[in-house]
Amino acid sequence: MTFLFRLGFVLKEGFTQLLRTRGPSTAIVIIVASTLLQLSLFLGITRGLDRALSSAKKKFELALFFAPSADASDRKRVSDLLASDPRVGEVKMVTKEEALQEFRGDPEIDRMIQALGENPLTDSLSVVLKDGEGGSLDDLVERLRREPGVEDVDYGKSAWETVSRLSRLARWVGWGLGGFVFLTALFIVSNTLTIALWARREDYLILARMGAPLWMKWGPYLWEGALQGLVGGVLTVVFLETVRRGAKVALQQYGGLDLLLGLPDGDWKGLYWTLLGLGVGLGVLGAFFALQKRWVREMQ
Amino acid sequence: MMIQGFHLTKVHSSGAKVLDDAYFSAPEGSFTVVLGESRTGKSTLLKMFGGEEKPTSGTLRVDHLDPYDLAPSEKDRWLRSVGVIFPDLELFPDKSVEENILFILHMKGAPPEGQREAVTKLLSKAGLGDKGPARPSDLSSGERRMVLALRAMIFRPRLLLADDPFQGLDERTWSVLLKFLLELNKGGATVVLSAGPASFPEAAKKAAQDRSPRYVKLEGGKLLPAEEAVL
Repeated sequence: MTFLFRLGFVLKEGFTQLLRTRGPSTAIVIIVASTLLQLSLFLGITRGLDRALSSAKKKFELALFFAPSADASDRKRVSDLLASDPRVGEVKMVTKEEALQEFRGDPEIDRMIQALGENPLTDSLSVVLKDGEGGSLDDLVERLRREPGVEDVDYGKSAWETVSRLSRLARWVGWGLGGFVFLTALFIVSNTLTIALWARREDYLILARMGAPLWMKWGPYLWEGALQGLVGGVLTVVFLETVRRGAKVALQQYGGLDLLLGLPDGDWKGLYWTLLGLGVGLGVLGAFFALQKRWVREMQ
Repeated sequence: MMIQGFHLTKVHSSGAKVLDDAYFSAPEGSFTVVLGESRTGKSTLLKMFGGEEKPTSGTLRVDHLDPYDLAPSEKDRWLRSVGVIFPDLELFPDKSVEENILFILHMKGAPPEGQREAVTKLLSKAGLGDKGPARPSDLSSGERRMVLALRAMIFRPRLLLADDPFQGLDERTWSVLLKFLLELNKGGATVVLSAGPASFPEAAKKAAQDRSPRYVKLEGGKLLPAEEAVL
């Protein structure tokens, strides 16, 4: 028998079974959809938090001050060193005149500078780090400090590390809660599918007694699970898209949803595909675990 | 397929001993009828040959293999070359008669071309030409038994085990079924069927004569050889 023939057989049988057991199938679709809805909140909020923290991290700059004696070769060497570091995103040269201009906005400092009679500032480099770089920068800072012509390097170490830790924590909490919800749903889906399988145990026993190959015994059940998961996933996606388009304003008043609703279009598409994949995964895994039950294995 | 059984003993979990140091032999291509009163262990014996009832002790070889010693996937493959007509091995209730038989052809790995035509032809040969779309629940008990038999025979198994296949059938139906069984045997398949004293009538014995059937009787857990069988 060709692969296509087998595939056609499995698809047809799985679909027929799905229609035959409408009750359990509906229950599974509802369980999958509600699970995915919860997961979408975790995923969306985690993604939203991630973005917010990343943009906060972006604001942390590393400032490098040159000594007044620093010459052009010192500046070039330091710039090259920064350019070769993968954590560095953007490097901008700020001359002491530009820095002075900026400080003059504050009347207090302007008065002090006038009293000094000369520009006390030095040339500096403003370094913006790459998005998502959460590791320590101590090694880079130390290297820069040792470079000739560098007077000082300044960066908000503790704030930077706090933001990095928060970012990691948000991700882990999101994954942890999402994983818990997924596993709970998997348990429920698997048990509901076990009930559906029990209702059809006579059919399964006939197959086993006649020596049906594994793909014939398992294929339709796994496909049925996949279909139920897919339907649950599609329902969730339709619901979320409706909320995003229609009920956006009304739902923004509830905490957390504004984070979710504020995601850009690309993230939404990614979220939808993830949810569909998770739905199918939930259905297939649920069916797989149902087929591992002892009484099913004893029939084989 | 050839069947050989030595010192076969089967004790059910209830403690009842249905086979007691029994011997059995069915050469390849033979037609064997196991006769016996009800509850003498005929079904158990046939299920034992079909890989469903492991002997408590003794040696069983079907085609030189011990079906109880095979790995699950090997056993599935082996089972696919055996046709069984067991009353408790029902039809799929939600499939039509035609789908039930087609399903077996799919399962046994028959080429997909011409399957539907073959099923239609077989059904009409069995006098069930109009029953193709019917559900098993719409069939009479005799019709259902005939469909069970057709399902077991359509893929031309090398071994056919039929547990009391004529039980409750009218004369016309059992004679059609016997004709199928004999045809299959003529094609080289080994056929072992069981029957009660009343379910294998004289007319059946006469009709089967051409195939030189071997008769054995199961009594008190022993299989009596053909010459000792009370016919």
